[in-house]
Amino acid sequence: MTVFALIIINKAGGLIYNRSFHEGGLNTLSTNDYLVLAGTFHGVHAITARLNPLKAVNNRTSTSSGGGAPFTRPDPPSGLEVLETENFRMQCFTTMTGIKFLLFTDTTQVNVDRTIQRVYEMYTDYVLKNPFYQLEMPVRCDMFDRKLGSHIREINNR
Amino acid sequence: MTVYSFYIFDRHTECIYTKTWLPQTSSTSDGPSSGGGGGGGQQQQHGPPGTSTSTSTTTGSGSGSGNTTMQLRASSADDAKLIFGTVFSLRNMVRKLGGDDDAFVAFRTAHYKLHYYETASSLRLVMLTDTGTPSMRNVLHQVYINLWVEYVVKNPLSPVEHKRGVGVKNELFEMALDQFIRGLM
Repeated sequence: MTVFALIIINKAGGLIYNRSFHEGGLNTLSTNDYLVLAGTFHGVHAITARLNPLKAVNNRTSTSSGGGAPFTRPDPPSGLEVLETENFRMQCFTTMTGIKFLLFTDTTQVNVDRTIQRVYEMYTDYVLKNPFYQLEMPVRCDMFDRKLGSHIREINNR
Repeated sequence: MTVYSFYIFDRHTECIYTKTWLPQTSSTSDGPSSGGGGGGGQQQQHGPPGTSTSTSTTTGSGSGSGNTTMQLRASSADDAKLIFGTVFSLRNMVRKLGGDDDAFVAFRTAHYKLHYYETASSLRLVMLTDTGTPSMRNVLHQVYINLWVEYVVKNPLSPVEHKRGVGVKNELFEMALDQFIRGLM
């Protein structure tokens, strides 16, 4: 059970935080490659939200059901949430404001939902409440780094 | 477990085969009889009284069905392109992060799950299913070895390059694939 890395992407697709927790899990890339990766993922995420195979069916039922059936709000579009590969697993959590948290773990990791939620809580507590932090800008907060590091270390040593 | 659609892309990134098992593809072929429910042909067969209660709505959906078929056809061609773009980007991303031997297996959103399998000859098989489905990698591998190789590669009339799907849409392959996938559902 290992958490490899965390990436935070702002709502415009820019990389604002990037940290590796475990050596040897993922290849280390140059900063430029990480920026490209964040941008690519942002685009892919937008496409996967559009690719819903049930969208056409749901539209059809909602128009043909007429006035009899109560109006049901369609599910909000959802982009990529979990990506599985042979060597790792990536969980993506999108906040209401469009910030994406990508957590890279090994394939057997459990409770990633909880972990990523906790990371988001830390982001709100130690980054957004930092009076010197500017929104959409790279995250440079010592408090966040420290708390995140200790939390992930605890998970990796479990 | 439900399979929504299946795509094959060749090494020139062209979509050479696409097939969907969505409820509306069956309802467009047999017209107004299955217009009301929209929940698939099978449900309609189980409940004939249900179709009689929704007679007023069938006329409404029947008039719009021609329009929706056009939209569906256009959107399925676009979907194939979007799917290829997604799969290609994710594959490159995964190989960059996990090393050259790493392979992208599947991704899931809240509405569907996409399974991916790539052969050594860069033939890419993609399947969209519901979110609860476990890994379909072996299924796609079976499709490749038991259906693709048997009915397309070993077909003496089939060309080497399947431009615009020539040679893929033969009766044996289509029938065997449909049977195989329906057997899983």
